[in-house]
Amino acid sequence: MKQLFVLAIICLALQVTFSKNGAPALQFDQPVLVTSAGQSADVSLAGTLLKKMNVNHKVVNLAKENDLAGIKTLVIVPGFSSKGLGAAGISREQELERVKSIIKAAKEKNIKVVMVHLGGKARRGAQSDDLCQMAANASSYMLVVKQGDEDQLFSKIASQKKIPIKIIDRMADAVTPLKEVFGVK
Amino acid sequence: MKSSKIFAIVLLVIVASLVGIASADFLKMRTEDTIRPSTSSCVKVGRLSDYLPSIKGTSGDTRIFFMDSKKPGATVLVLGGTHPNEAAGFMAALILVENLEIQAGRFIVIPQACQSGFTCTDPLEGCPEFYTIKTKTGERTFRAGSRVSNPLDQWPDPLVYRHFPSGQSLSGFETRNLNRSYPGRVDGCYTEKIGYAIMQLLKKENVDVAFDLHEAAPEIPIINAIVTHDKNREIGAAAIFNLEMESLTYALELSPKNFHGLSHREWGDSTSVLPFLMETCNPIQGRLRGRTDTNLLIEGNDKFYATAQKAARFRITYDAENGSPLKTRVARHIQGIKAILDGYNEAHPEKPIMYSHIPTYSELNASGIGNFLK
Repeated sequence: MKQLFVLAIICLALQVTFSKNGAPALQFDQPVLVTSAGQSADVSLAGTLLKKMNVNHKVVNLAKENDLAGIKTLVIVPGFSSKGLGAAGISREQELERVKSIIKAAKEKNIKVVMVHLGGKARRGAQSDDLCQMAANASSYMLVVKQGDEDQLFSKIASQKKIPIKIIDRMADAVTPLKEVFGVK
Repeated sequence: MKSSKIFAIVLLVIVASLVGIASADFLKMRTEDTIRPSTSSCVKVGRLSDYLPSIKGTSGDTRIFFMDSKKPGATVLVLGGTHPNEAAGFMAALILVENLEIQAGRFIVIPQACQSGFTCTDPLEGCPEFYTIKTKTGERTFRAGSRVSNPLDQWPDPLVYRHFPSGQSLSGFETRNLNRSYPGRVDGCYTEKIGYAIMQLLKKENVDVAFDLHEAAPEIPIINAIVTHDKNREIGAAAIFNLEMESLTYALELSPKNFHGLSHREWGDSTSVLPFLMETCNPIQGRLRGRTDTNLLIEGNDKFYATAQKAARFRITYDAENGSPLKTRVARHIQGIKAILDGYNEAHPEKPIMYSHIPTYSELNASGIGNFLK
């Protein structure tokens, strides 16, 4: 009887720890800093999603180490945009360097990184892929619109590094998984 | 001697006939396209020279349609034909002018913003001069136009175009490009004057939201996109989600701060307007295209782009099965305008724009453009 009771407790604990589809029930804390990797305007789309969910966040396109003060989670939205880099007034090389630095700073401060790729095919390709890989490799969770993972770039990284990944059909489907990971009801 | 005279007379008659035919063809390009505004909402047809008298009577003195509810609300400006060879921009603006009903606020629509560019085609491109759309009341023919102002209105091009006032250097050809001319200047070259007049309109009419409708070749990265000024990126983002709900994919792009002369940059910097520029995919503008005729302009089917899409050697945005027909490109522009205005109304409920009687994306695709032209 005592053994059965212990087994039941273990089962209950496992049920709480794991979500319905078997993936760990991840939780990321707020406040959240949202930044781009490649300066596409997808960062604004991610900001709009978090705003609608009332997640405590700020969007800083060109976030640097000092923007991480008080931040619990860093959301990186990768995707190259020549217009976006023009809007920011920086080169691609400067952007790569900035993204590297903020990931390094986040790791040093034990801030978890979430990668959100919303732009599909338009934000993949030679100009975007190193930024995508950099963000994916540094992340503790990936949320990817299906079209952006047709060649399984993100799925492979997730599988190799055992990073939880959620593939969604379209941007609007990001609401449910983001609510889950940020503990929004 | 007598036979020489007869020969000379015959030759003269032949040359005069050829000159006559060529002149008639040339002058046909200078005849304004027919536009039949909605009688219930169009309260005034103005001219661009109302904002800069020095262009009065010139080929750039384009028509401006004021569609007013006479009730308080936002003022929305829609520009088609900034680049006349991008037919979907003109056609989307035309459908607005001929169909809109407005319940609050007003629309100001300029279907042929660079009217000078409608009087010619681009040299060496082999593009058609005209195209015809079947409507419920018969066929309507429109000029296909050039990307830039007619060289007869502004010539010669300098080697380097220096944008005023930034001093930015561009190819001399761009000196006739309306969407490199803003904010323009009152005593500048012809295209700068057109840009200046449009800036005056934005200011004098207190425009709240403005659209500049464009198209681009399938190989251009900024395609099926909405370009916004930084100050209205949130409305742009909301529109992208609204469009996605209707299964329409658009990319959101930010206007580069250091690229001057463009509507989405200069309108936003110099006035209180919230500017948006939209791009659709038009294969007749692309370098890979094959036969260049009205069929390509209207149906948007090109076998070379289809091959390129399937080969996937480089990135192009092209539907190899369905092509990129004009009706779909126009539908994307109109649906984009609706989505952005929904976003604007959500952000500015105190000053809304309320309107009706414009076709939906699926209506345009199902029944074609002609069904919405008078």
